[in-house]
Amino acid sequence: MLMDILAFLTSPRFIEAFLRVIVFPGTLFTLLYAILAVWGERKLHARVHLRIGPLHIGPIMGLFQVIADFVKLVQKEIIVPRAAHRFIYNFVPLAAPILAAMSFAFIPCAPYPFYYGRPGPPYWVIYYTDLSLLVVLALFSLRPLLMIGAGWASNNKYSTLGALRAALQLFAYEVPLIIALAGIVIAVGTFDLARIAESQLVVWFILTQPLGFIVALIAMMAELGRRPFDIPLAEQEVVFGWPTEYTGAQFALVMMSEYLDLCAVSALITILYLGGWYGPVVPFLPPQASYVFWFLFKVAVLTIIIMLGRAVFPRLRIDQLLKAGWTWLIPLALLQVIIVLLEVDANMSWCIPAIAG
Amino acid sequence: MHRGVEEELLKAIKEGLADALVEAKVWRPQRIEVRVKAEKLIEAARFLRDKLGFDHIAAVTGVDYPEKRMIEVIYHVWSTGRMVMLALKTEASRDKPSLPSLVNVWEGALYHERETHEMLGVNFEGHPNLSLLLLPEDWDWSSKGYPLRKDFVLKEE
Amino acid sequence: MGSKVEAMTLSMGPQHPITGHFRFILEIDGDIVLKLEPDIGYTHRGIEKVAEYRTYIQNLPVVERVNSYCDSMGTLLGYPRVLEELMGIEVPERAKYLRVIAAELNRIASHLYAICLVAISTGFETMLMWTINDRELILDLLEMLTGQRITLTYPTVGGVRYDLPQAFKEEALKRLSYLERRLEDYRKMMLENHTFKMRTQGVGVLKPSDAIRLGIVGPNLRASGVKADVRKDEPYEVYDRMDFEIPVLKNWDCYDRALIRALEIEQSIRIVKQALKELPEGPIRARIPPLPPKGEAYSRVEAARGEFGYYLVSDGKDKPYRLRIVSPSFRNLIALPFLCRNVPLADVPIIYISLDLIPLDVDR
Repeated sequence: MLMDILAFLTSPRFIEAFLRVIVFPGTLFTLLYAILAVWGERKLHARVHLRIGPLHIGPIMGLFQVIADFVKLVQKEIIVPRAAHRFIYNFVPLAAPILAAMSFAFIPCAPYPFYYGRPGPPYWVIYYTDLSLLVVLALFSLRPLLMIGAGWASNNKYSTLGALRAALQLFAYEVPLIIALAGIVIAVGTFDLARIAESQLVVWFILTQPLGFIVALIAMMAELGRRPFDIPLAEQEVVFGWPTEYTGAQFALVMMSEYLDLCAVSALITILYLGGWYGPVVPFLPPQASYVFWFLFKVAVLTIIIMLGRAVFPRLRIDQLLKAGWTWLIPLALLQVIIVLLEVDANMSWCIPAIAG
Repeated sequence: MHRGVEEELLKAIKEGLADALVEAKVWRPQRIEVRVKAEKLIEAARFLRDKLGFDHIAAVTGVDYPEKRMIEVIYHVWSTGRMVMLALKTEASRDKPSLPSLVNVWEGALYHERETHEMLGVNFEGHPNLSLLLLPEDWDWSSKGYPLRKDFVLKEE
Repeated sequence: MGSKVEAMTLSMGPQHPITGHFRFILEIDGDIVLKLEPDIGYTHRGIEKVAEYRTYIQNLPVVERVNSYCDSMGTLLGYPRVLEELMGIEVPERAKYLRVIAAELNRIASHLYAICLVAISTGFETMLMWTINDRELILDLLEMLTGQRITLTYPTVGGVRYDLPQAFKEEALKRLSYLERRLEDYRKMMLENHTFKMRTQGVGVLKPSDAIRLGIVGPNLRASGVKADVRKDEPYEVYDRMDFEIPVLKNWDCYDRALIRALEIEQSIRIVKQALKELPEGPIRARIPPLPPKGEAYSRVEAARGEFGYYLVSDGKDKPYRLRIVSPSFRNLIALPFLCRNVPLADVPIIYISLDLIPLDVDR
């Protein structure tokens, strides 16, 4: 019995599954990303604000400040308000990071020769499916439900207001997002994210569908709840929005889920528009490692761009936000789809990979 | 330049207010003091605002004179046109101090009169909301008294 | 067809990220605020009553605490002036110039703080950090002058308490020219920022006739188109010899109230430079008689937030008989419920912050 378990644990299939799920692109990678993202955001914003940011804790430039903050948060008391709906209130901070991590699980990160030790689609991905874009979008749509749940269950007027605003904003901005991504799907002819990435070998979709890129980027920032669209969360008007009542470890989990979402969104936009893992040859790395390198590089660049938005813009008001969505983003997204359809009709194979084969 | 303004204002006030006026004088350039009877307060205020252009209310002050058995209420009003500050003074008896409210004349006096009411006990008739403003919600005047009156002694350790 | 509006009562209480120590009771229908009722008094310290128990000189720091952290000189300057008016004291020339320099420096610091708050009310962290950072330069100057950054207690009855230190003039001119360059950055970053304009233009429009009727003072009044400034209407100290302008704006909204503070910083820098150049030699305090005569006096000073009035009734003793402190935020308070009728909830912090109401100033 023990020998069977030991044999399973050392088999290449298990070791490879362990590598994927726990190391890359799994738990350790996303946690490391979250830590680096929080640290990077604080340093980046500090430089924009003409100050320095975390400096003391950690080997260089306050690198472990995030860990220190996390430890501090975890050892604080978890307060559940007396009149709160206990189950939903306690469920949401656990579900939020899991949902974010689940969306990231379907996104392929780089090519890799084996898939769990057996012949199959060769990518660094936790679960491969050829409907991966659809699954990721569906999981994104579940996020507002969590926010509404937390807002209602907290029994707090500010949380309720924040949750309602989250609902309005997130549901409203899914429409331009899906329309813009429809342009990609029509061009490639499949929902498979790995295939979409591979079809950008010659030219990236940011060049052939720039309108779609802009719409998708703005809509994704609104979906994330990042400034200038951070109306549901962190408002001056509504103390902290839907997670107002969360303290201690629950607050830490909510904050972590925000950065895990950022990870998923950055990876998604990289795969869809920025050419996935393709890039010029790096002199000292073998080709497999250079794919991973370029993927990480592009994800980092996109993360920095999204973070800069928070430093540079003030916040919009909810009605201005919705008006901007309906008058600008949706027409632009529709225009993009129309352009793609016209290109398909004209058989322009250099920008429609589905035609080229 | 200003010397002339105060003198002609004083003349206009004496002619316009006539029987409501108790006393009027000039303190110094840009300061005039007018004392009126409490019953004619609203007409005097309207005359000062509409005919002489005193439109910008600055403060409503209550001063407690226990030995004269009266509470003096002073409205300081500035005229943006003529650059003169007017101190409109009336008296209310200390036992049941009551004055007509000038909120309809100078709307900015809203919170000032409310504060004077809660600190000194002057009842402004016609004021829309004379509830507590600065004092705590459970302040009880009958047991604790009116803070700015002279018989309210601050206990200092 | 009478449908009853179901309004929710929301209390933006004293502990709230944006209101400071202020409480509003809002009636909200969906996202629209129907009515706003300010509930003040959280920081009421009863300074008018306490002042009756202290001698005139002991009252200087007490009265300054009405609003020391934003604008100490503006708060305090009226108090020695009302005594000097009552007693008929003439302040020496050098003391007048020093008072003007300190008052204008404090006005710059206070306006920088006000711009910082306007920025954060729209969620603009970067401007908050920039303006607070630059405010440190001015506070360093004030520390050089008085030893204190915030609670200066600089003027006293008859003059000022400290003289100018050695290197002050060069330091001040260096820092002020840096600040002038930074104002350009603020203009490009915030005042021409499209999102900031979207949030603040057309919001909280206060017409000039309403402003005068309600008794509004200060930059709010000037942003509502009324040219009224105590430094020009009733010049005190040496303002009649200074060459500066009073900006008056035309759109009367929150954007104008933020813009006018930036414009007034420019004018204040002008005044400080002139005053430093023309500073005469001489004593910094005058001899004062021990007791004031019986009588009353009303002094007006242009603090950063508006006209600060002191009304003193003296009965000849060494303690005031009645000291009435007319703070500008208390006079501006009435604009808040007036402007916050049928506005979206997100506009309430912007209107509140653009009026620059400091809870300490309101409550005294």
